[in-house]
Amino acid sequence: MFGSAELSALQAIVGTDGVLRGPSAERAYDCDAYTVERSKPTAVVLPKTTGEVARLVRWCNEVEMPFAARGAGTGLSGGAMPALGGLIISTKRLNRILQCDIPNRKLLAQAGVVNAHVTKAVAEAGLHFAPDPSSQTVSTIGGNIAENSGGPHTLKYGVTAPHVLGLTLVCPNGEILALTRREQSPDLISLIVGAEGLLGIVTEAWLKLTPLPDRTETALIAFSTVRAATEAVSAIIREGIVPAALELMDRRILEAVRLAFGFEFHPDTEAMLLVECDGEPASCRAEIERVGELSSGALDFRLAKDEDERSRFWLARKKGIGAMGRLAPTIVTHDGVIPPSKLPEMLEFVYAVADKHQVGVANIFHAGDGNLHPCFYFDDRIPGTVERVVEAGEAIMRRCVELGGSLTGEHGIGIEKIDMMPLMFSEADLKMQSWVRRAFSPGNLCNPCKVIPNQKGCIEHRRRWRGAAT
Amino acid sequence: METDNLSDLTAACIRCGFCLEACPTFQITGEETESPRGRIYLIRSADSNTLGWAEIAPHVDRCLGCRACETACPSGVHYGQIFELAKAKMPSKRWRSSLLRQLADVKRARRQFKLAALLPGRKLPNFVSRLLTKQPTSTRIPRPQESRNYPPLEALPPIKGQVALLRGCVMDALFPNVHEATIRLLRRIGFEVIEIRNQCCGALHAHSGDLQDARKKFDQLVTSLPTDIVLLTNSAGCGSHLKESGAMAKDVSEFLYENGLVDALKMSHGITCRVGYHDACHLAHGQGVRRQPRELLRSVPGAELVEIPDSDRCCGSAGIYNVQQPTLAKHLLDQKWGSIEVAEPDIVVSGNPGCHAWIDQARVERSSRIQVLHTMEFLEASFSGLFN
Repeated sequence: MFGSAELSALQAIVGTDGVLRGPSAERAYDCDAYTVERSKPTAVVLPKTTGEVARLVRWCNEVEMPFAARGAGTGLSGGAMPALGGLIISTKRLNRILQCDIPNRKLLAQAGVVNAHVTKAVAEAGLHFAPDPSSQTVSTIGGNIAENSGGPHTLKYGVTAPHVLGLTLVCPNGEILALTRREQSPDLISLIVGAEGLLGIVTEAWLKLTPLPDRTETALIAFSTVRAATEAVSAIIREGIVPAALELMDRRILEAVRLAFGFEFHPDTEAMLLVECDGEPASCRAEIERVGELSSGALDFRLAKDEDERSRFWLARKKGIGAMGRLAPTIVTHDGVIPPSKLPEMLEFVYAVADKHQVGVANIFHAGDGNLHPCFYFDDRIPGTVERVVEAGEAIMRRCVELGGSLTGEHGIGIEKIDMMPLMFSEADLKMQSWVRRAFSPGNLCNPCKVIPNQKGCIEHRRRWRGAAT
Repeated sequence: METDNLSDLTAACIRCGFCLEACPTFQITGEETESPRGRIYLIRSADSNTLGWAEIAPHVDRCLGCRACETACPSGVHYGQIFELAKAKMPSKRWRSSLLRQLADVKRARRQFKLAALLPGRKLPNFVSRLLTKQPTSTRIPRPQESRNYPPLEALPPIKGQVALLRGCVMDALFPNVHEATIRLLRRIGFEVIEIRNQCCGALHAHSGDLQDARKKFDQLVTSLPTDIVLLTNSAGCGSHLKESGAMAKDVSEFLYENGLVDALKMSHGITCRVGYHDACHLAHGQGVRRQPRELLRSVPGAELVEIPDSDRCCGSAGIYNVQQPTLAKHLLDQKWGSIEVAEPDIVVSGNPGCHAWIDQARVERSSRIQVLHTMEFLEASFSGLFN
């Protein structure tokens, strides 16, 4: 299926050093940061331009080889897993910022540019790229667009979609499409952002740059019970305050962060809120003070004195999931959404489910918009564990939907939650989603077996992926 | 998790990927197989017999061992240890071992460095390099430093203690003045130095996976030491290895900083210049020593410490990496020199002989006016004046 003719064809497009083959490459690219399911690619290619991506996609169509785009591989739902083998098209050499338009507050980046590098490039002009997933020091713009990534500051600034002004898309048939928001046509950008790489490969994007706020106040508030913390969240939201970020970390996360960075907290803490308010100095100050009043039952209220302390507070939040490796060899981080008012009962449910399935769970999440991240930690080398983790995750997702929420806030459906789609969507809904997909991708080669359940040719592969760990 | 079991060590990685952008070889190639996360996964796979060691060897061999990934890792994965254990399984070990034997013995090393003068451009002939690495050579074999005559020490404080200084192998053969400067600085704050000669700590061996040799060298060294004495080193690689092997060791910059050199420097003549500090990987990432050398440099009257962008990114020297992987090493060196030029220093200093020799090659190639020194040479020059 893949011989020297195929290899030369690919090398003719991306150069000899742009094609990776062999057992090591197959292994290294068989999953992203969602490790429960794995599948080997046939080859990996690293193009440098939109033109090269388009030629690769056209070649895949000619030889009928499936393909999937991959950025940094930090995705948490298996979006970059080559489900049916085929070509992994890595964007890691599409890593240039092509234009920087400071007066109009926008920037043109290739898809493989790291999120944080965008902000770094414009920080001197007092601007930043607002979407800030915890992976922002490594995750790419292309990946952020595919997953419509959020982040702590999504609460006030919105997820990735509103920050994308234009796109260059290589369609599943290899055609290059330039999309802007100005046209009087249907808003295709909003369709592509968050499509998880099903409708083509984004190679370049015009990004909106946001001015840095005049002032930022950041507080850490410790509570002796998770319920007290979640009730404070509900009170803050009820009051009509829109903090820039409103995050919750439970005791297990705090312990991991203490082990990782020597982060200290009140000994009776069971949950910690990180609240950030920003904007015009006086109102920002008033807001954070009001937050303090609303958390009257707290053990401890710490306001960051300076930028240094503020970044230490954020380190705990941003590296919290990463630090979970201190507690166990494997984690699966879930991602569900519920109305914020349901937080107290939902968290109690999460702890009960974990107990029942005998897996550890830690919670670190965007409390302000009810976006949960129960993080299961376990040792995947022990037989039977992975299955228990999958079951526990499904129970939690089912509950999110029952409470009027959603299957995913920002990590995507990918391969992980594909079977749960019917929990949220009717048959008619799913059929329509299939139609949209088929309109872009009639051949089923572009990132197959993701998001939309019961695709032809996928079901029999399912067992092979799952639990392919070790 | 205290273990030397590859399965447990590699299982500590949860694949979050936060290490990716910290890794110099990933930054250059964009390839998962050349990233810390990818390498850990491959090593884990070889350890569990899913892949063969020979299959993953090119990717392990391309790792610098700079350990910048450890600084970035929130899960505290002991990458350095994983790397050394994996290196021990590599089929490419044999020729590396013989190269190491030449370097890790001061007398042999001196002879080799002298013989190198006979080679055109002080480089290994391309055909030799190609035999070893399949790549053309880019590394000049460094020229040993000429000993300088320091003036006699004057106005010294009374002696308050003794310390041991590891003269080591590469440093002793290439940079004898660094030792001289180190001894003088220690004496200036009241410490008498016992010099440990003709002993190797085993760091080069350990970083290349010759773990038995490394252990033997280390044990020999430790048994030859007087008891209850701090062992100092001015080589970053030795320091991190000594500490991790359990010796009571310190980098000399830490010791000088903690024992009063800051005050002594403030009373010195000083040097009017812009000085840039390059973080040797095994100081910054291996030992977490970043602040102390900078504080010392800041205390030199007249000297302005300028920050080199990405100062803790590997220069590509990485032990004998520049001989094994000349192409990537050269790429990193050019990148490093570019960053140094951005900071516009008059002098650039670092705390490791490998970085020192390698960065100096960039200077020679460009006939740059920027001087390359070891931190100790620079600090001593604040008292006794610059050479040249």
